[in-house]
Amino acid sequence: MSASDHPHTVPGARPEPRRSMVVCGVIGVAVMAAVDEIVFHQLLGWHHFYDRSTLSVGLLSDGLLHTAELLALVAGFFLYADLRRRRALVPVRAWAGFFLGLGTFQLFDGIVDHKLLRLHQIRYGVDVTPYDWAWNMAGLLLLLIGVVLAVRAGRHGRTASC
Amino acid sequence: MLIIAHAHPGPATGPGLVELATAALALLVAAVYLVAAARLRRRGDAWPWWRDVSFTAGGAGVAWAAVGELPGGPFSAHMVQHLIVGMAAPLLLVLARPLTLALRVLKPGAARRGLLACAHSRTAGVLVFPPLAALLDVGGLWLLYGTDLFEAMQHEPRLHAAVHAHVLAAGLLFSFAVCQLDPVRRRWSLFLRGATLLAAGAAHAVLAKNLYAAAPPGTAFTTPDLHTGAQVMYYGGDLIELALAVALAVQWYATTGRAHARQTTAPVMSSARRPA
Repeated sequence: MSASDHPHTVPGARPEPRRSMVVCGVIGVAVMAAVDEIVFHQLLGWHHFYDRSTLSVGLLSDGLLHTAELLALVAGFFLYADLRRRRALVPVRAWAGFFLGLGTFQLFDGIVDHKLLRLHQIRYGVDVTPYDWAWNMAGLLLLLIGVVLAVRAGRHGRTASC
Repeated sequence: MLIIAHAHPGPATGPGLVELATAALALLVAAVYLVAAARLRRRGDAWPWWRDVSFTAGGAGVAWAAVGELPGGPFSAHMVQHLIVGMAAPLLLVLARPLTLALRVLKPGAARRGLLACAHSRTAGVLVFPPLAALLDVGGLWLLYGTDLFEAMQHEPRLHAAVHAHVLAAGLLFSFAVCQLDPVRRRWSLFLRGATLLAAGAAHAVLAKNLYAAAPPGTAFTTPDLHTGAQVMYYGGDLIELALAVALAVQWYATTGRAHARQTTAPVMSSARRPA
């Protein structure tokens, strides 16, 4: 498992653009979820651990998603390490996937978790509307960065045929 | 275990006989492991040192949970105990591959044959089916915190001991089935084990949030104590899930790495195999 087991020049190494993007997308989702948990739940204490208005289906989906994020974080990093080990990582695609993942999670959290399932609000005791707007706009921005990077990588990929 | 310290915060009577016996047994098992591992190494076998550390930490964890002073209010302390006995210690014990060690160190004879027959028995095969192990583990917790069982065990030392024995046994079974490090009758795919971990983790998280909102029936813990306990369960469960996920991922990484090395260095090295 150590690096010395794998020679630096792997004969027949083939770049895997699609896999690079998907794997880094998974990491992006999981990293954003971790940021949400650490910054908003733990450091700022804005989000509540449990909100009385939560629906029970919300509680179930929260439990599933929370666990899935943890597993995705671990799986993502090991899949990434595997791509690196096989010299198959395509960095442009990887960055595009990472930003798409970040944006997707942020938007999902802002719309489904906060608004539809009402797991918790961004902050309590204040008018939450501007916070919701800032939250979802930030998510949209991250998503757009991901889309732009993916389109550019796609164009580049066609010309360079990789 | 610990019923005196937990249920009645009145006179401090210290650990009872059952607690002391549990702690002594846990430490004895750890000592046996260390002796066996040392014997293996003297013989020339490779046995990584971190397995000794892991097993000893697991045994010490059980001992400490049995007789030690645990922090926080009664419910938080119970949760810390639950985390150690039901999750952390079982994982540490399982990661040390005790069955593999026993099979390697025992001389051919009745004991070794018996152990092997037990490991390869149909019953063991059914029990280590990951979804069943998860159901026994997390299902037991739902029963404990969702029914009157929790209240009843506070007044019934034998029930208390039985519940904790179940928590430890089910935790061992679950970690054993998900990690699948020791040789058993049947191997299950990484996908099934990962999906089981996901389902069990989700059920554990939902149970922790339910406890945050409502205490086990019939109990009267203070709200701050209940909230701390529920969050200890939630985030402590996260840590163990992360560790289990890393254990699975390391297996996958090593297996694919070997397959990759075989492909890229073939045909000269194709017959060279490294021990798992």
